[in-house]
Amino acid sequence: MSATDVDGARAAGTGAPARSTTPLAGASGEKRRMSLTHKRNLRLGLLFISPWIIGVAVFIVYPVTYSIGLSFTRYSGMATPTWVGVQNYITAFSDPLVAKATGNTLFYAIIAVPLGLVVALTLAIAMNQNVREVAWYRTIFYAPSLIPAFAMSFIFIVFLNPQFGVFNQVIGLFGGSNVNLLGDPTGVKIAIILMAQFGAGNAALIFLAGLRNVPKTVYEAARVDGAGPIRQFFSITFPLLTPVLLFNLITGVSGALQVFTEAFVITNGSGDPDGGALFYMMYLYKTAFGFAELGYASALAVLLFLTGLALALLIFWLSRRFVNYDVDAA
Amino acid sequence: MIDRRRFLGGAGLAAAATLGATSCARSRATGDNVIRYWGMGAADTDKDQAVLDAFKATDAGKDVQVIIDQVPSSGAADNSQIITAVRGGTAPDLWWMDRFNAVQNASIGLLEPIDGLIEEYEDVSVEEFKSQWIQFAVDELTYDGQTYGLPTATDARGLLYNENILKDVGIDLDMFDPTQHVITWDELREVARQVTHEDSRGNYDRFGFVPWVDQGTPYTWAFGLGAEVYDNETSKITLDSPEWKAVFELYADWAEEFPYSKVDAFYATYQPPNAPPTQNALFSERLAITPTGPWQIQGNEKYAPDLPLKWTWLPVQKDGDPTYTWSGGQSLVIPKGANMTKTLWEFLKFFAGYPGQSIYQPMLGNLPTNLQAIVEKKYNPGAELFREMLPNSTSRPPLPVGSAVWDTTDRAKSSVALGSKTPQEAIEENQALIAPKMALFPDFKMPETYGKPSPIPEA
Repeated sequence: MSATDVDGARAAGTGAPARSTTPLAGASGEKRRMSLTHKRNLRLGLLFISPWIIGVAVFIVYPVTYSIGLSFTRYSGMATPTWVGVQNYITAFSDPLVAKATGNTLFYAIIAVPLGLVVALTLAIAMNQNVREVAWYRTIFYAPSLIPAFAMSFIFIVFLNPQFGVFNQVIGLFGGSNVNLLGDPTGVKIAIILMAQFGAGNAALIFLAGLRNVPKTVYEAARVDGAGPIRQFFSITFPLLTPVLLFNLITGVSGALQVFTEAFVITNGSGDPDGGALFYMMYLYKTAFGFAELGYASALAVLLFLTGLALALLIFWLSRRFVNYDVDAA
Repeated sequence: MIDRRRFLGGAGLAAAATLGATSCARSRATGDNVIRYWGMGAADTDKDQAVLDAFKATDAGKDVQVIIDQVPSSGAADNSQIITAVRGGTAPDLWWMDRFNAVQNASIGLLEPIDGLIEEYEDVSVEEFKSQWIQFAVDELTYDGQTYGLPTATDARGLLYNENILKDVGIDLDMFDPTQHVITWDELREVARQVTHEDSRGNYDRFGFVPWVDQGTPYTWAFGLGAEVYDNETSKITLDSPEWKAVFELYADWAEEFPYSKVDAFYATYQPPNAPPTQNALFSERLAITPTGPWQIQGNEKYAPDLPLKWTWLPVQKDGDPTYTWSGGQSLVIPKGANMTKTLWEFLKFFAGYPGQSIYQPMLGNLPTNLQAIVEKKYNPGAELFREMLPNSTSRPPLPVGSAVWDTTDRAKSSVALGSKTPQEAIEENQALIAPKMALFPDFKMPETYGKPSPIPEA
């Protein structure tokens, strides 16, 4: 008796819940024919996605696994790695520069991510206005996101120049004294946070897609019930955007933990003044390629990965309290 | 319309062709007469070519093919390009490298020692052969008793000043004349006070001097204050010595009068980071004095030929104290896995020796390391004061943790100047960061001759 027969008998004779039966579970000849088709489709499917499978295996799975292995060694990139157990991890927890770099990165993430979400949502709402020239607005609001980070960094160096920069010229108009943001360890972080907001266009597009997905009938019903724009935003728009918010929050945190390019360009690779822009990735980069300590740098990378993972899981766990997946039902 | 089978077949072929092409693209050129060379950098291609042309005109070089790539060394920053190339089997046979990185790179096995080549192809001993170059430059290429390349260019540090500005505020120029006087720190502070001027909003619009800009690195003043990084006797890092504390006290002291943030605003305005060479506070006559070196001569001559920019010694503590400086520079090294042929050796010897140095040194603005080239003055005449400095100059200590020491001390400089750390806290942190790294090289010894005078024969 075949397994299918057993299932059929159970379903017919015992009153147990019947499994859903598919054509694949029919007569043996039919099963073979369908199985061949299935296999062929599977082969074709795998062939089509093989560039991604190979890409993930070669550029993500292998390096991550290799890096985890290296994190338990002393390795310069040249000689054979020497096993040192968890020494690199112990060193990381006592390294004052790791503490400084972590503090800088958290400072950045805690401000840049929420601020970025607010800016992106505001842009998305502006892009969603029902006016004829909305296409122009969308282009204008998105355009800064197309500027590469290194180019934006050079623009910001000039923009924030303590004497002739636009930023200080505006402050001067209101009688304020000059601010040298890039010459101050906290100021340089704030400058990089401000700069990050020019890349909010990507998140704004995702918010815009979410906004377009909210059924108009819900707003019409709300208007009939007498809800104004603010009430509509907080009772309809925002709750129904929370799945998109969750996505942008997780990608934002992940990106914030890896902030690098802007600080590298602005500080000429030093992370100064006073290590104020020495972000975690920058210290990791220096450790790996400046000091030839790839084992230690791998341990730092693993710690960063675990931190990112833990934060993502924490956000997912918290998301059960604030994310509303009822957009379709709505 | 193309069917799916043809599309997949075509895509597969295209992918295979791309993979094949990329895997062949950077494969090593073969043959004993082919040399792959990573040169001085895009801006100095003409110097590389001039040496190559001269080499090809010799008997040793007539059948040689040299493939020049401009992949410059980025100082203490990043060795990823060369490590990747060596590991990938596409490394050059010869590499123009910042000499400061030599010991670190040798310690990780990135470079080939050249002692074997000298023994095989030269009629003199290794020591005698190396004696053609200035001692401190050879020391900087020595690790564990072996030599990892030949030195090419070198330099030194001094003060560059603009006579116009000093005259405008009534400074006695004899104070800066290197033949008459070595300026003291107190005198320099007074000059800086007189020169520095603020606009109506309190911003500096003319500035004298501070010790933390340009070549005002902790290393520079450490040489003047007797601070040493490493004790060869005890094999210990000594970054927490009283002398190092004095180095950082110097920054703290100057920053009290010239706040870091205001100075930074001045430089951000008149000489911002990554600015083109023309945008220089000295050239715009906003800055009076800066610590720098002979590499600046080329720019001075090119962009400010009419300005009276002159050189003098670095400041000393008190009248009569000995002058001091330090020298960096470049070298030619052989990365691991290179094709170690007689042809390569002949090219290296030509390039780093008298024939090569006499071609490119006058064009570079720096100083030669080859003693004959120094004696015969194969350098820019504007670098004469630096030439005088050479016998008593030395390199930064050749340590396998050199990049980390540089990075750490430089960060401490801005911390102290900003006031976020006291000099004592800075030196304690520096020691705590570097000592464990150096502990991985137990009983490491720098060359015996390190820090001793490097005599230059008389003409």
